Amino acid sequence: MSEFDAIVIGAGPAGASAAIRLASSKKNVLLVEKSDPPGSKNVSGGVLWGSSLSSIIPDWEKSAPVERFVDTKSVAFLTQDSKIGIDFSSKKLQQKKTGYTVLRAKLDQWLARKAKEAGAMVINGVTVEKLHMENGKVTGVEQGGDVITSDAVILCEGANPRVAIDSGLHKRLSDRDVAIGVKEVISLPEATINERFHLKSGAGFACEYVLGYLQNGVEAGGFLYTNKDSISVGIVVSMSHLRQNDATHSFDIIESFTGHPYIAPLLEGGNMQEYSAHLVQEGGIGSMPKLYGNGYMIAGDSAGFSFSNGLVLQGMNYAIDSGIIAADTFIEASKGMDYSESALKLYQDRLESSYVMKDMRTFKGIENVTWSPFVHKKVPAMLESLMLNLFMEEGKPKKHMTGMLLDAMSENDMLKASSIMEAYRMMRRM
Amino acid sequence: MVLEIIVMVKQVPDSQEVVIDPVTMNLNRSLTRNVTNSADENALEAALRIKDKVGANVTVISMGPPQAETTMIECLARGADRAILASDRFFGGADTYPTGLTIAATISKIGKFDIIFAGEESSDSSTGHVGPGVAEFLNIDQITYASSVDYEDGYVTADRELEGGTETVRVPTPVLVTVLLNSNSPRMQTLRRKIDAVKKGMEVWDHDKIGLQPEWVGVRGSPTIVRKMRPIKERERAAKKIDVAGLGDLARELYEKKILKLEEE
Amino acid sequence: MKIEDRLSVLNYKTDKSYAHITVKPDICETCPDHFCTFACPANCYTLIEGKLNFKYEDCVECGTCDVACAHGSVTWTNTKGAHGIKYKFG
Repeated sequence: MSEFDAIVIGAGPAGASAAIRLASSKKNVLLVEKSDPPGSKNVSGGVLWGSSLSSIIPDWEKSAPVERFVDTKSVAFLTQDSKIGIDFSSKKLQQKKTGYTVLRAKLDQWLARKAKEAGAMVINGVTVEKLHMENGKVTGVEQGGDVITSDAVILCEGANPRVAIDSGLHKRLSDRDVAIGVKEVISLPEATINERFHLKSGAGFACEYVLGYLQNGVEAGGFLYTNKDSISVGIVVSMSHLRQNDATHSFDIIESFTGHPYIAPLLEGGNMQEYSAHLVQEGGIGSMPKLYGNGYMIAGDSAGFSFSNGLVLQGMNYAIDSGIIAADTFIEASKGMDYSESALKLYQDRLESSYVMKDMRTFKGIENVTWSPFVHKKVPAMLESLMLNLFMEEGKPKKHMTGMLLDAMSENDMLKASSIMEAYRMMRRM
Repeated sequence: MVLEIIVMVKQVPDSQEVVIDPVTMNLNRSLTRNVTNSADENALEAALRIKDKVGANVTVISMGPPQAETTMIECLARGADRAILASDRFFGGADTYPTGLTIAATISKIGKFDIIFAGEESSDSSTGHVGPGVAEFLNIDQITYASSVDYEDGYVTADRELEGGTETVRVPTPVLVTVLLNSNSPRMQTLRRKIDAVKKGMEVWDHDKIGLQPEWVGVRGSPTIVRKMRPIKERERAAKKIDVAGLGDLARELYEKKILKLEEE
Repeated sequence: MKIEDRLSVLNYKTDKSYAHITVKPDICETCPDHFCTFACPANCYTLIEGKLNFKYEDCVECGTCDVACAHGSVTWTNTKGAHGIKYKFG
């Protein structure tokens, strides 16, 4: 007989959610996390979208260490001299809070505590070395020469899934699978943030940026989120574009972003409290590993669940829901004491009928849009010329909007059939 | 008869993360996480090495709030056999005197002991009082600032790092040994032992169980009064970059400023 | 702000007895691109007089170098025993 019903590797949103669900169903579950305390090696942008947690922690919004709810969501293009953005603020966002800014060291520690309270055994500060296999079936984990057995293992290791890679359940990551995320947390008094971003107490601002000013083919996105008394600001740079460039350091890009004429004033007077970096899953459905097999399931970032259409970046909500679905699959499988590949196929089926896989399929290929010269170079430049044409009053006769738009597009080489097709394909994928 | 070893440990704020509130002069605990005092990890390792060699029963004891559980579990997961936390609201606010008394009383309550280990000092208050204090309360010999410790046939042999040399002492048990920070590399917790540690858990003893009167311990039993605290003024550190070729000039400059001296002087 | 200043605010519990990332110097010596030196956000890979210098102590465990190195020089493992980077915010 196994020592545990299930072992969950990794106490991030996916692993902790799986452990909470399993423990709440009276399963004997071990949650193992390498960092101490849990969360102290985890990084995300981070806005937690959706209310996935409510199914395992009903009143989570009251007790979770969230920073601010997002009541202004923006997207913006940055060129060397300009910012062209869209702000969305809404009373509706205030009434129905759909996104919260979070800091993972705090959130994940809280989630691990919830798992412990639910009855899971939470062990942190110990790194699982590999999966234990018997007759082609995962039957536990190995550490320090010891084997800890379980009926099944749920791998929730995050964007850099070493155990899964070393056990042959996940291929080695390549340029097309991941981007590099680099972030700073900058402290500012709560009142200053409220004033600077026009926020009421508790309300937050979240914005994603296209860094259209980067030279030599580097493509990167930026983000800026307000926490209670700090700002999370960072960049996500494509590994392959950085490689082709071969002259820019990943850490120089965040410097250029935080120093941009329309970003720097937002951070002015703040103290940098933390600098961090992490891989970001960017490969979409093409980068996903096989999600289940004999005695195991993979959830969260390890499974490649993340979403970015340029307007919003999401990952934690997919992590939470995939963790819960993996736990539910285990609970279902435990009825027949069958944790074989064919029994755990239910995990894939349930994911397919949930928004997790539906989103992955709907937005198949989106990474080719979000990482394209069209979005990163042509669109920002075109928007800048359009705006300049609109507002530069030079005492000359004006054109209609459409005329100006066509001028701006032709200036930036966007009237070619190929560019129009590109725009059309892009819109379809978004 | 099996050797009985006691290890005194303390949970302290992570010294790398300590933030002092400039207004209240108190520790900003919201941003500070707790860890096991590093020198105590060396003390535990010294004890476990003796256990590996001759066999021993290792009991870790600490005084502190219930959240010290993480430290106690950690010690069990490294190889200790038993963990006792002296925890009671009456113990709060103690200076080193009642802390030593509480720990000594806890050890007396356990009964037999041969060697007591402690770290040289804690990183949060750096007094180095409690270990020697416990030895005095228990009226046993003590070896302080040990860099290496060995046990054979009823005797502890230890090297003491002193200014200008190393002293080797050999003392019969029972004896208390305080261990230097970084004097060994503590073994890691294993998953197996940590699971067992969580299952086993720690014992929590209050003043009643230990047999102490509330007025002897905690803030009431503490003779120390802190009159004033002041922050250290941070000085701008001046750095100067020089070429290897410029070394001669630098040496001359330092000599002229009387920072560098020539040997014959 | 220089990368050194950024890294100086971080808290590490350095594992003095185990380097969780190792590189193969003979591969690095003939490397045509040294992309690791551009990719690593913690500046762990630098060129000193044309020679690759790697230090694991500043590593933030992002995993970038393992993907960045296309020449098989990097061996990447998880840190052990809660060593390595300790983020306060994350």
